[in-house]
Amino acid sequence: MGRRGEPYYVEAAPPVDVNKNTEWFMYPGVWTTYILLLFFVWLLVLSVSGCSPGAAWTVVNLAHFAITYHFFHWKKGTPFAADDQGIYSRLTWWEQIDNGQQLTRNRKFLTVVPVVLYLIASHLTDYKQPMFFLNTIAVFVLVVAKLPNMHKVRIFGINADI
Amino acid sequence: MVRLPYTTALTTLFSYGLLFAFGQLRDFFRKFVDWFKAKNVKGYAPICLGLEDFYVRRLYLRIQDCFGRPIASAPDSWFDVVERTSNDNNKTLQCTSNTTRCLNLGSYNYLGFAAADEYCTPRVIESLKKYSASTCSVRVDGGTTKLHAELEELAARFVGKPAAILFGMGYVTNSAIIPCLIGKGGLIISDSLNHNSIVNGARGSGATVRVFQHNSPAHLEEVLREQIAGGQPRTHRPWKKIIVIVEGIYSMEGELCKLPEIIAVCKKYKAYTYLDEAHSIGAVGQSGRGVCELLGVDPADVDIMMGTFTKSFGSCGGYIAASKEIIQHLKQSCPAHLYATSMSPPAVQQVISAIKVILGEDGSNRGAQKLARIRENSNFFRSELKKMGFEVLGDNDSPVMPIMLYNPAKIPAFSRECLRQKVAVVTVAFPATPLLLARARICISASHTREDLMKALDVISRVGDLVGIKYFPAEPPKIAEADAEITS
Repeated sequence: MGRRGEPYYVEAAPPVDVNKNTEWFMYPGVWTTYILLLFFVWLLVLSVSGCSPGAAWTVVNLAHFAITYHFFHWKKGTPFAADDQGIYSRLTWWEQIDNGQQLTRNRKFLTVVPVVLYLIASHLTDYKQPMFFLNTIAVFVLVVAKLPNMHKVRIFGINADI
Repeated sequence: MVRLPYTTALTTLFSYGLLFAFGQLRDFFRKFVDWFKAKNVKGYAPICLGLEDFYVRRLYLRIQDCFGRPIASAPDSWFDVVERTSNDNNKTLQCTSNTTRCLNLGSYNYLGFAAADEYCTPRVIESLKKYSASTCSVRVDGGTTKLHAELEELAARFVGKPAAILFGMGYVTNSAIIPCLIGKGGLIISDSLNHNSIVNGARGSGATVRVFQHNSPAHLEEVLREQIAGGQPRTHRPWKKIIVIVEGIYSMEGELCKLPEIIAVCKKYKAYTYLDEAHSIGAVGQSGRGVCELLGVDPADVDIMMGTFTKSFGSCGGYIAASKEIIQHLKQSCPAHLYATSMSPPAVQQVISAIKVILGEDGSNRGAQKLARIRENSNFFRSELKKMGFEVLGDNDSPVMPIMLYNPAKIPAFSRECLRQKVAVVTVAFPATPLLLARARICISASHTREDLMKALDVISRVGDLVGIKYFPAEPPKIAEADAEITS
C-alpha cells in the first residue's frame, strides 16, 4: 500500500464515546479486520477438512452465527469492572454501540455481513438441504436481532436481567 | 491525533481478538473444571458477575509484572527496583530481596525535588521535629498550622490568584471540590480525555455531564451552543451554571491544552472554566507558573485553577486557587476541608521550600537552572526520539512523552526488555488509554543529566528495533563531508 513500499498511514482520532466496551469499534481498520478474519477462517476450514467450498462457507456462516450471537446479543455488560457503575450491565453489546443510536454506519455494516455470508454459502451449496435450512435460520435470527425495533426487547423474558 | 500504519491497526485488532478468544476459551474450560468443586458460600451473590472481571483475569494478569513494580529507594533519576518472581505464570508475584539500579523514566519528578535537596530537606526535617508527622486533626479544628497558612498564601501568589485552599490528596482535590461548585441543574462539559478524578467528581456532583472532543475548541463551541439552546434535559429550563473542565498537560498524551482558544469560547458563552494543572504547574512556563504563563493567558481569565504538589514539588496533596469568595465558600462547604485530616506539616514545608527555590527566593538561581534544564532535556529527548522514527506524542516543552506501541504484545516486550537493560519505563494499556493506543510513557526530569538521556536513548533505540515500534522512517544522520561535497 502507498507508493514504492511506503506504509499507508491512517489517523486515529480519540473518539468521544465514553463507553470503553464499544469505543474500539470506531477506529480505522475494524471493518477490514472483520472481513479478513472471516476469509482466513474459511481458508482454514477448507484446508483442514478438505470439504467443498460451499460446505466450508456454511461452517463459517454457522460459526459466525454462534459467536456473534453470543457476544453481540447474549452477553450483557462490559468485560471489565469499569467505573461506569454498571450502567451498561443490562445492555448487550449491540445495544451499547454508537451510544444506543440506531441505523448508524457501523450497525448497517454489521447487519449486511451475515446477509452476504448467507448469500455466498447458499449459492455455493446450490441451495441444497440441510445446509440451506441451517443458513436461513442463522441469517434470520441475526438480522432480526439487529433490527431497531428489537432494541432492549427480551422475547419471552429470555436473557432478561438477574 | 495519532497516525499509525494501516497494517498496524489491523494486526492490533487481530491480536486483541486472539487474546479475547483465548481468554474466553480458558473461561469456558474453567467453568467445566469448577463445576464439580464444592462451593462454600450458599445463598450469597457473587462479588463479580462473570463478565466484569474478564479483562483483569485474562489480559492484565498475564503481564502483571510490567505494572506496579515496587521500588526500594527515593525516586530520583536513578533508583532501585525490587525484583519479583512468579511460580504460577504471573497470577501472583513474590518480591525477592534483590534490587536493580535502574534509570528512572517513569516518576513525575519534573524538577528533581523527589530526592534529598540541599535547601528543602533540612527545613523539612526541622519542621518534622517541630510540628511532628501529623496534625492529628481536621483543618477547622486544630489542624491549621502556621505552615498551612503560609503555603496557602504562597500558592496563591505563585499561581497568580487572590486566594488558595490546600488538600491532603491530589485526587480528592478534584473529586471533592467539583460537587461543592456545581449540583443538580448545572452542566459540566469536560474534555474527553480528562483524568479519572475529574470524571469521579463530575459524577458525584449530580450535574449533567457532557464530553467534548479532546482539545477541540470548535467542538466545545458546538456542544455549548447545543446545550445552552436545549437547556436542562426534559424541562428545558436554562442551566443553573456551566463549568468547562480542561487539563493543562494531558498526562497520557503529553499535549498542552489549547487554552487561549478555549477561554475565548467560554467567555463568549459565559461558562466558567476549571483548569487542572496537575502535570503542568512547576514544570512548564518561563518561571514555572504553568500553562497560563506558557501560552500567555492571564490567570484572572481562568475561574478556578487546580494543581497538585505531587509532581513538580516532590510532596503530596493539592490546591485550588480562585477568587477570595470562591475559596471562602469552599472552606465552609467542602468535606475534604471540614472532615479530612489536614496535610502533614513536613509535606507542607517541602512544598514551601520547593516553591521558594523555583521563585529564586532561597537566594540562589537553582530554580531557574532546573526550569531551563527540564525544558532543554524534554526538547532534546523528544526530537531525538522522533529522529529515530518512533511515534512520540505531545507538544514541545512538555516533559511527558508517550511512545506509541499499539500492539498488546509489545507492551510486555518493551517493558521487560528495557528493565533488563536497566531502564525503568512505565507502559500504559487499556483501560487508562483507548484499547488500540497502548503506549510507553516517558517523564523527563530536571535531575536527568545528558549522559542519562544518551543512555536512555541508546537503550530505547535498541529495544525499539527489537520490538518493532519505529513506525516512521528514521532521519539519516547528517554527514558534514557529504554536504560539503555536494555544495562545492
